[in-house]
Amino acid sequence: MFKKEETLKPGTDPGPLITAEEFSHPKSRLAGYDFLIIAGAFLLLATIFSTHRVTDFMIFCIFAMSFDLIYGYMGRLSFGHLLFLGTGAYSSGLFIKYFHGNPLLAMLVGIVAAALLGMLVGAIVVRATGACFALMNLAFNSIGFFLVLSPLRGITNGEDGFGIHALSVGFFNPASKISMFLFVLFFLLLVFYLLKRLTSSPYGIMIRSIKEDEIRVKFLGYNTYFYKWLTFVIAASLAGLAGTLTALNYKYVNPNVMDVHGNVGVVFACLIGGAGRLYGSIVGGVVYMLISNFLPIYIHRWEMFLGISLLIIVFKFRKGIWGYIQEMEEVRKRQKVVPEIAGKGVAQR
Amino acid sequence: MTLTILYGFTIGAILYFISIGLSLTFGTMRVINFAHTLTYCIGVYMLITFISLFKGNFFPSAILAILAVIPISYLIERFIIRRLYGESLDYTFIATFAITLIGVDSIKWIWGVNPLPLSDPIGTQLNLWDFTFPVYRVLIVTIAIVLFFALELFFKKTIVGKIVVAALEDKDGVRCLGVKVERHFLIVFILGSALAGLGGVLYAPISSVHPYMGLGILLLCFAVVIVGGMGNLRGTFVSAFSLGMVMAITARYWSQGAEVMVFIVMAVVLMFRPIDI
Amino acid sequence: MFAVKHLDVAYGHALVLHDVSFNVRKGQMAFFIGRNGAGKTTLLKTIMGLMKPRKGSITYQGKEVSGVPPEELYAQGLRYVAQEKKVFGNLTVKENIEIAAYASGEPLDRALEKMTAIYPKLTNFMKLKAGQLSGGQRQILLVGRALVGAPKLLLIDEPTQGLAAVVIEDIATILKNLKDQVSAVIVEQNLAIVKELADCVFILKEGKIAREIVEKTEIADTKGLEEYL
Repeated sequence: MFKKEETLKPGTDPGPLITAEEFSHPKSRLAGYDFLIIAGAFLLLATIFSTHRVTDFMIFCIFAMSFDLIYGYMGRLSFGHLLFLGTGAYSSGLFIKYFHGNPLLAMLVGIVAAALLGMLVGAIVVRATGACFALMNLAFNSIGFFLVLSPLRGITNGEDGFGIHALSVGFFNPASKISMFLFVLFFLLLVFYLLKRLTSSPYGIMIRSIKEDEIRVKFLGYNTYFYKWLTFVIAASLAGLAGTLTALNYKYVNPNVMDVHGNVGVVFACLIGGAGRLYGSIVGGVVYMLISNFLPIYIHRWEMFLGISLLIIVFKFRKGIWGYIQEMEEVRKRQKVVPEIAGKGVAQR
Repeated sequence: MTLTILYGFTIGAILYFISIGLSLTFGTMRVINFAHTLTYCIGVYMLITFISLFKGNFFPSAILAILAVIPISYLIERFIIRRLYGESLDYTFIATFAITLIGVDSIKWIWGVNPLPLSDPIGTQLNLWDFTFPVYRVLIVTIAIVLFFALELFFKKTIVGKIVVAALEDKDGVRCLGVKVERHFLIVFILGSALAGLGGVLYAPISSVHPYMGLGILLLCFAVVIVGGMGNLRGTFVSAFSLGMVMAITARYWSQGAEVMVFIVMAVVLMFRPIDI
Repeated sequence: MFAVKHLDVAYGHALVLHDVSFNVRKGQMAFFIGRNGAGKTTLLKTIMGLMKPRKGSITYQGKEVSGVPPEELYAQGLRYVAQEKKVFGNLTVKENIEIAAYASGEPLDRALEKMTAIYPKLTNFMKLKAGQLSGGQRQILLVGRALVGAPKLLLIDEPTQGLAAVVIEDIATILKNLKDQVSAVIVEQNLAIVKELADCVFILKEGKIAREIVEKTEIADTKGLEEYL
């Protein structure tokens, strides 16, 4: 992939979308210490704020990572991703309420429900791009919200929502805040691991290539529709997972889990943190949670403050916090490596 | 049933007023302005202030309120929208949404959070053939129709209108003929925002007034613009009234489903006629 | 009067023009020929300010104009006719000229007179929507639009492309009548036109100027020039 400063002489072939070098040693290689850093960070946060709050943060981060799969990696903005979180929450909640209190089974139900819905919606939506994609997702989200609010009121109890009493299973006791915290942390790390593997696999490279230049990938013979659809389904399932955790954490489900306006938050989070990078989603998720939870307490005009900050980010700090950090890293690395490249690199081009 | 139809037309008219600006901004600048309904909202609050200043005189207050919206929309275009030309959707979304946040918070700061009451300024009914029509609503629909023809004239007969029509088709071509297209787009933007203000001012007496009222109607306006075609004013006219009717009829049989029905129509239209952004 | 020095223009990462330098004297008609994709359209677009060069300078009447927006360049006398033959299809022919006259300051009647002088047949089409014109009529309208006001430097991209022989002749006549009055940088594939009108020919190959031909005899050697297409 090109770095910004290099340009090609006219007439030369731009080269592969991804070099062999990068394929075998992707930047996003998983290292054991990633887990430690993330776990450590959240444990630290839990000592500052309450465990319950931080569990909330972590669930949002999972949701942010699922969203970023579509937004950062696939390059499509959706205004309706909350639909799947809500589906996961409602499905698992209803399962516990009417069938069985086993939280693990409920989670499975929630994820499967979200996945199935993702398959359906994805098949329709994934052909679109840009604003079209965003607004169609919005439409489906609105429809979902309306469904749980009104026609299905009999089961979902409409606006008032319903409570959930899940049973303990093994070490996991939903009633205990600490147990809940560790449970969610486990899933956070699991999702992180899965997405890390996914995005550095050939599949992940395919997705990024599609974002970069879909037409080219099509010419190479790949069925881009299928890959986009698959990505959508995975993202929907993970959002569903976040939804089931939401239900278990609050022990309560109401239409707010599917409220269209909530989508704004996750877009902010990914932008603030840095789109297209897993760490970015987590960082952004935490930052957004901190902002929305605590800013109103300290700054009375927090919405104005947020608005101004966002304008500054959009016009000055595009890449988000994590992206900024990574850029500084790269500049540092390049300063060390320049003497080597001067000899080899240019000649290769 | 006739009353439902009138209500449908009324909502359609209001949607039309607001959607014009959204459609034009997209057609000319290729920017999806999520802050568009801010001027709708501000217009209403200005109206309330002016009414209290002018001791209940609705129509002069309304005009002043719409005029007051103009400098605000100028500032928005000059400092933010202009920088979003050619930008990708996500940044446009965040930037314009940020404007909304700032705007809504300013409103809360100045006027407070609580909904403000406003009543029907004409209050009389019209008696035609066995039916009673609130005159005010009829007035709104009439204004919409007049506006439609006024806009047609504007774009067909004035040089500014012609430049905009040309620029909608070939912006670079217009620029290469020496015309400062940006200035004309600014005029169009301000016009669109003023019309949104008009919509707000006319609708306020028959709806609820609160700082977040802009957001609610924004999504509906998107649906109108998508169904009607971005940058297509005649299409916007037709789709605004059609969707208004959809809302009124749905509301009659299925009270909370009105908005959702609009989104369903939008989704169906998008499936068969995807837009190119 | 017009000079380009060491111009580099890129689309994203790919460099399309590299180290392009040339001069055009007052009243001269310079032609650019070359294969498709050599960068000819990019060159004209950059000169007109529709694209920003990465490096290099463009000077016009002694002033640096690289990166200046097209509206301002128009005021200084530059005129651009794009390759795509796009007219304002939703407006009538007369309105097309009206827009051209608007910024130039020239009164509409004079602009219309000029237009009909160049191409008398156009009087019949004045009320027609420009979108309904044929390709040749559009091209003539485009050239006419560009000539409104006081043009000094014309930038024309493939004026005769895809047109019928009769129309090509008309255009050639129009351009011939302008010789020595305006300067021009014209991109062409039609070597007969090049032979008839060019004062000098530049050959653009893969983003660089491969050759500059000034000799009349060599310009007239159509067969030789064909190799470069």
